[in-house]
Amino acid sequence: MKKLKASKFAPRRTLLSVLLACSVMGAVVPAMANKADDTLIYAAGLEPENVSPYHNNAREGIILSRLAWDTLIYRDPSTSEYKPMLATSWKWEDSTNILLTLRKGVTFQNGDAFSADDVVFTFNYVNTPEAKVVTRQNVNWIDHAEKVDDYTVRVVLKKPFPAALEYLSGPTPIYPAKYFNKVGIEGYSKAPIGTGPYKITKVMSGEGVNLERNENYFTDSPVKKPAIGKIKFQVITDPDARLAQLMTGAIDWTWRVPSDQADELRMMPNLQVISSETMRVGYLAMDTASEQQKDSPFQNKLVREAVNHAINRSALANELVRGGSRPIYTPCFPTQFGCDSSAAIEYKYDPAKAKALLAEAGYPNGFETDLYAYREMDLAEAMLGDLRAVGIKAKLHMLTYAALRKEQRSGNVPLAFQTWGSYSVNDASAMISVYFKGGADDITSDQKVIRYLEKADSSVDPVIRKENYTAAIKAISENAYWAPMFSYSSNYAFSKELNFTAYPDELPRFVESSWN
Amino acid sequence: MLVFIFRRLLVAFSVAITVSIVSFMLLHFSGDLAVSIAGPDSTAEQVEQIRIDFGLDKPVVFQYFDWVWSALQGDFGRSYYFQDSVMSLITERMPVTLTLGAVSLALATVVAIPLGVIAAIKQDTWVDRLALTIACVGQAMPSFWFALTLIVIFAVNLHWLPAGGSSTWQHFVLPAIALGYYATPAMMRLTRTGMLEVLGSDYIRTARSKGLSETSVIFKHALRNAVIPVVALAAVELGFMLGGSIVIESVFSLKGLGQLAWDAISRNDYPVVQAVVLIIAVFYIVLTLLADVLNAMLDPRLRVR
Amino acid sequence: MSESTLSLNAATSGLPVVPEWRRIMNRVVGHRGLLLGSSILGVIVVLALLAPWIAPHDPFAQNISQRMIPPVWHDKGTWDHIFGTDKLGRDYLSRLLYGARISLSIGLLAALISGLIGTTLGVLAGYFGGRVDAVISYIITTRLALPVLLVALAMASLVGGGSVETVVVLLGLLLWDRFAVVARSTTQQLREAEFIASAKVIGASTSYILIRELLPNILSALIVVMTLEMAHAILLEATLSFLGLGVQAPMPSWGLMISEGKSYMFFKPWVIAIPGITLMLLVLAINLVGDGLRDMNAPEGRN
Repeated sequence: MKKLKASKFAPRRTLLSVLLACSVMGAVVPAMANKADDTLIYAAGLEPENVSPYHNNAREGIILSRLAWDTLIYRDPSTSEYKPMLATSWKWEDSTNILLTLRKGVTFQNGDAFSADDVVFTFNYVNTPEAKVVTRQNVNWIDHAEKVDDYTVRVVLKKPFPAALEYLSGPTPIYPAKYFNKVGIEGYSKAPIGTGPYKITKVMSGEGVNLERNENYFTDSPVKKPAIGKIKFQVITDPDARLAQLMTGAIDWTWRVPSDQADELRMMPNLQVISSETMRVGYLAMDTASEQQKDSPFQNKLVREAVNHAINRSALANELVRGGSRPIYTPCFPTQFGCDSSAAIEYKYDPAKAKALLAEAGYPNGFETDLYAYREMDLAEAMLGDLRAVGIKAKLHMLTYAALRKEQRSGNVPLAFQTWGSYSVNDASAMISVYFKGGADDITSDQKVIRYLEKADSSVDPVIRKENYTAAIKAISENAYWAPMFSYSSNYAFSKELNFTAYPDELPRFVESSWN
Repeated sequence: MLVFIFRRLLVAFSVAITVSIVSFMLLHFSGDLAVSIAGPDSTAEQVEQIRIDFGLDKPVVFQYFDWVWSALQGDFGRSYYFQDSVMSLITERMPVTLTLGAVSLALATVVAIPLGVIAAIKQDTWVDRLALTIACVGQAMPSFWFALTLIVIFAVNLHWLPAGGSSTWQHFVLPAIALGYYATPAMMRLTRTGMLEVLGSDYIRTARSKGLSETSVIFKHALRNAVIPVVALAAVELGFMLGGSIVIESVFSLKGLGQLAWDAISRNDYPVVQAVVLIIAVFYIVLTLLADVLNAMLDPRLRVR
Repeated sequence: MSESTLSLNAATSGLPVVPEWRRIMNRVVGHRGLLLGSSILGVIVVLALLAPWIAPHDPFAQNISQRMIPPVWHDKGTWDHIFGTDKLGRDYLSRLLYGARISLSIGLLAALISGLIGTTLGVLAGYFGGRVDAVISYIITTRLALPVLLVALAMASLVGGGSVETVVVLLGLLLWDRFAVVARSTTQQLREAEFIASAKVIGASTSYILIRELLPNILSALIVVMTLEMAHAILLEATLSFLGLGVQAPMPSWGLMISEGKSYMFFKPWVIAIPGITLMLLVLAINLVGDGLRDMNAPEGRN
């Protein structure tokens, strides 16, 4: 463990610098992570409430999903090409039937052979109400799957769904039918089995997950057999505790480091930092549909426009988030298919206009409300400040993600600072349709928008799709249902001993990592 | 004596029952449990089914007895958030908190008693005053701030000790200092007062007049008597530490009971919250009971009010 | 909290005598701790009261281009922001000054509420003894068995946390135990005193005796407890706010300031050092005043 650059820390002539002078005396902390014992320890703040990939919607869950499970199709993150994974080939029989040929000789981590039964089981199970899949949009386009023979499956769609391959290569990992039926969801969440390059050896609620390389991983996988032997995922809720652990070498990798801290970490000899824009969009959501919010000021379109004009998007993006972040006006990420930036109104930062709009709406002195948030309290506070400047006095409530989702679905959240990373799916349906198509998380319930999205999501014609997404974006933007604010950048900070590549889909792929 | 212990036991037992009622009510003020358990996507029928399955349709008094009865058998129900029973979550986390408490208490004792003795022997000199000043300043420091300061200095800048986690004994040093520090002033003061009291007593005067050496007087005779109330106080302090470890555990990301309670509070996971409140309270009740018995045992000679 | 009831009883066991004004002054001046404590406390109170007039900036006004300016003694500091600015560009000194109002008012109000509850219970228990005493002692024991911080956090999250009022009520309802213990023991000592007996003889009502005769005589002991509980309440408020369940953003609570500055502590330590030291000074000052008052009440010296 190298010494840190001491002079960075201390204000001049303080006790601290005296103590620092003594620090030459010795570092006695043994390095616990890393190269020496071939164990990569990565830490993140959120814990998936259930490691079973269909039963959480945390990004940390997706990371695990890609480590321990495989999907039928693989999308190469650098070329965006679809490559064979558990399926060796696939073909659209018509607009609602996909025929897939499966790979032979693949085994699950418990030794069970992989076959058509597993695919059929998985896709049919996740569409039952008892499965309680968290993000229904990921699977409810599938009507059912049927076995043609042991290594051929037909996936039958409810209606034409052009993004099907995108979903088959993302949030639809394959479960072992026999094992799952034996242990049930409860047993599965404690000892999950997949076909993936790493095997989950231990799930400790509140603490993390241990993984080991799957030595029997099939060699033809587009994901090569991993270089690192063991991986530990550690839940460290406090972001500063994560930094402290990284600086002291107790962990090798962490992410979502605020830009201010990232700049400081960059200076450290034992660490490296990379930043890039991600598909994640930060937005303010205003509840206009729930019964409890009937009398909320946000029912008034003028108020929602005022909120849009009150937020200083460029200050948020360029001063606070930084690292590639930019202002966003669409309820989706601009590179996603169908996410037409020109359809959205660019609400300019204009506090005076916001005040005028509030006055026009009958709130000349503003009003009091509650802002709920689950991450980045400093950004939430910047929003509070912007809102306060126009007269909207909001109280901040920081909740965990699960708690916030629950409160919001129960209609108790008038205003929320939320973010969405679209499961890294490069299609507008992965964001707009989750929040505006009448699902559990739709707090707008605009029937017109719902109709546009239903059309857009079910057409195979790209022109029709585009048209309808554009119409939906236009309606959402004109009604100011949301105040989309900025895209996220992600700062990854990790040990110099680690080789790590970041992708714009904000999905760390430790499978590709190795030691220097 | 036996009567005293018996009466004290009775009080402790009934306090435990009252506390269990309080922690049970905590859950019941948190809203409709059936809805919480069923989850946000559930239908009205599912909620009704759960209400029946979990016995939530029965009067609150019955529910309370059900809960206590299961709790006595070690079953605190299931966590709303984790796919796990509350009891297994607690047994998983308990060792960390107990270790933290024990190490903190040991550290506090090792510091407080010698300081208290020295302060008493050197009464009204600068040593005495320094000890009292440290005690005074120490009690004014917010524990979370002290803990952060320790991390910044000793973990991040000096690299002497780890900043968080619980895998080796080194991991417990900083949290134990942060937690134990707050018990030190009270224990030091009590040692000092006790020592002053004993040193001024006839009993010590006799020992001195018999020509025993000062060291022997102080350590063999005086300290032995002065230290027992301190031990009793230490038991009580341990109880406080278990309750106060929530802050320290969250700052040092120790996965103990405190962190569990904190996570549960922020997730509205009330079965876990009430179980932890009850368990910590019971610990405290048992520890104060021990302290009282200890104090009573030496009451005849020294503890004359 | 960590002060045990054992030492508390010992400390307040002397009958409180009301010394004449001159003797008090002499002792105040002679008692360095009390003098120091009351000076610091006085300064903080005055600054808090004058905050709207002396604060250099609006404590809520954010200016993102002026963020994270270091304090004036630092190389890059400016006199415009003596203690620098926070991550949203808000003036740290101004927030600190307004934060003093939060800490002081929460401390004072919570101590008043808990004082009212605790004194009532304690006096009743001490004066009537017997069954009343047994019941009230039982309530006190139960209250002591509950982990304060944990219950405070759970309650705060139940009621939704947030406002200063919630925190005051919450702490007021939780911190009355020491008042009760002290009021009870001092009342017990005075119950048989001559002036109480003579009041009874002339047919004074019980409430008259308790309020007009007894209370003034145990007041000095209660004021000592008051200071301790104020300090305690201030620390607890900071802890609750630090954990996110106390006073909510954007209020400039000192605990919240430490919590918000935490992510900068490794690189810009002043961000947590300044509110932390201020908080410590305030609590220290109150404790010193409390200790000083206790010493003055006790006939012989300290402890």
